[in-house]
Amino acid sequence: MGRKNKCLVYLPDQQSNDMVMHTVFLELQTMSKVLEKLTILSDAAKYDASCSSSGSKRANTFKGLGNSDGMGICHSYTEDGRCVSLLKILFTNHCIYDCAYCVSRRTNDVKRAAFTVEEVVDLTINFYRRNYIEGLFLSSGIFKNADYTMERLVRVAKTLRTVHNFNGYIHLKAIPGASPELLHEAGLYADRLSVNIEIPSEASLQKVAPEKNYSDIITPMNYLSGEKDRYVDDKLHFKSTPQFLPAGQSTQLIVGASPESDTQILRLADGLYKTQKLKRVYYSGYVPIQTDNRVPLISAPPLLRENRIYQADWLLRFYKFSVDEILDEKNPNLELDIDPKLSYALRNPEKFPVDINRADYEMILRVPGIGVKSAKKIVSSRIHQWLHSEHLQKIGVVLKRARYFISCPGLDVPRKDYQMADIKRIILSGEALQAPPQLSLFG
Amino acid sequence: MATYVYDGSFEGLLSCIFEAYRAKTVPETIVEEQHHQFTLLEDVQHIPADEGLAARVLTGIDARTDGRAATIVYQLFLSELPKVEMLIFNFIAAVIQRNHASILENFANEFILKASQIERMMHREVHRMHAFVRFQKAKEGIFYAAIEPDFNVLPLIGDHFERRYADQRWVIFDTKRHYGIYYDLTETQFVTLDSPIFNLSSGDLNPEIVDDAELIYQALWKNYFHSVNIAERKNTKLHIRHVPKRYWKYLIEKKRSIK
Repeated sequence: MGRKNKCLVYLPDQQSNDMVMHTVFLELQTMSKVLEKLTILSDAAKYDASCSSSGSKRANTFKGLGNSDGMGICHSYTEDGRCVSLLKILFTNHCIYDCAYCVSRRTNDVKRAAFTVEEVVDLTINFYRRNYIEGLFLSSGIFKNADYTMERLVRVAKTLRTVHNFNGYIHLKAIPGASPELLHEAGLYADRLSVNIEIPSEASLQKVAPEKNYSDIITPMNYLSGEKDRYVDDKLHFKSTPQFLPAGQSTQLIVGASPESDTQILRLADGLYKTQKLKRVYYSGYVPIQTDNRVPLISAPPLLRENRIYQADWLLRFYKFSVDEILDEKNPNLELDIDPKLSYALRNPEKFPVDINRADYEMILRVPGIGVKSAKKIVSSRIHQWLHSEHLQKIGVVLKRARYFISCPGLDVPRKDYQMADIKRIILSGEALQAPPQLSLFG
Repeated sequence: MATYVYDGSFEGLLSCIFEAYRAKTVPETIVEEQHHQFTLLEDVQHIPADEGLAARVLTGIDARTDGRAATIVYQLFLSELPKVEMLIFNFIAAVIQRNHASILENFANEFILKASQIERMMHREVHRMHAFVRFQKAKEGIFYAAIEPDFNVLPLIGDHFERRYADQRWVIFDTKRHYGIYYDLTETQFVTLDSPIFNLSSGDLNPEIVDDAELIYQALWKNYFHSVNIAERKNTKLHIRHVPKRYWKYLIEKKRSIK
């Protein structure tokens, strides 16, 4: 691998540089220009929900700058409560496409700007050195064509890795329609690539973004997951095989800009996890950007629905649920007043109560009020002693919720007296006295 | 039953525990010298810190837990919580008595559970410091950061920053506990600072030593922080839960204005 402390490639717009402390001092004039670009191009990038900087292991080699140790860090949180982990910007918001849901669409009257490769590199390095960020998330509008745009994104990543020996996190957009050569090169420098599907069905996509189609989106995904498999396989035989997309791929679906049901959205996501081996599917409640008659007029983004879909996504990935258990033909959409796990329990009374001291881990995971951590603690502690309800409380189980679905010594409520409808009413009224549910994106 | 008094050091505390075991007794309490108030009725044992005895305690508990217990005990100590000394004694006693690594997963044992809760709390604070440290570049190229963590986590965070910023010299200074760690491109050491490097209330680097470009990057960062916010999704409660107000003081993006 050429990622040592020498620049092995010819970079036309990279001046000869001082390798140790890298940065050209920004003159005040250029500074105000960069400030304006940063305002425009971070504002345009913020509708991408992805914030993750996790899942990649990249050591700091040759006393360079930065590392990724597998666990992402949120360095700050915006006032809307979302994690700020990466410098998330567009390379440019000039775009040849006219997608109705997108703020950067061709026909939208917004200020346009474009960074240079050096400006993005300089911002990334200087923010990183001050511990503001875990790395860079670089997306872009499409100027000229896919390859022209992708080439610039790749050049930023390549400069960071090869010139600055930067080992922080890099997330690039894979531009639909970009050539396999460029995607391949991107995979060698980036930790994660993402192609956003945005609209959860092809029919709706045709309506709001007539210049796009599913095959353009799925082709790069397929190519990248195939390449990643190949590299992982090579690595088994040759230790020197470089990393290829160590943090895999992700995508984003917009919720509420088109008429798909929650079942359709979750089935699509489930398929992406299984067939494309995506690491994450992000859901973004549609923020009504400007009036365009191809997308619905709504007053506020559907945050609660987005939150329920995230909870269901969690059940798929960490709680071993299948889509069919969460939703069915009678219930195509998630209930908004209760979370999907409670909903599952109330619809399947025959599976409860779960015996805390004897049941399988999988079944304990299904109890409302018991999370992954508590379930693991229960299974490891009950080897030593019989667990009582007070143990559960201390372990972190939310008993006022779980008590209706478990049996264990010390519980004073004889569960059999309750009907599921009563339980729902009790839980809801008990919780109504407390603060409204927090809309957390689970980090 | 005796009161054991130690010098405030980790080694001192472990020496007390060793001596209590040697005397086959459970201490009434273990207190730091500077907090100890003398009363006539007490049986008071002043135990000097002995590195050898301390090491034997740590080796002993690690041998029984696949090398995991010593780290936990150190974190309990750094939490500086009131009466944490007796928790440490009881935790060590539980480990020695059970003599098997699985004891650390028995959360029905009150001391193991309490220890794991404090460990999680410390872990959270360490993670917060990984996130909230904000370096400011000084003219001579050193990056400085002021922190004021709830617990004494400075000894636990050096490794992370050493791995990450291997090619820059940096100082992280705890303004509450008045000491810092300094990485000089080779190793990280504990330091104290004499000259006024920081403005203690704002955490700003002394204007005389600050690098010319520093304020520019601070302005860019603040600007970035505000433009990625989506006003339609405002959720102040969640924001404050993730970034509690007591940490705002030294966070560049949460400070009011920059000239």
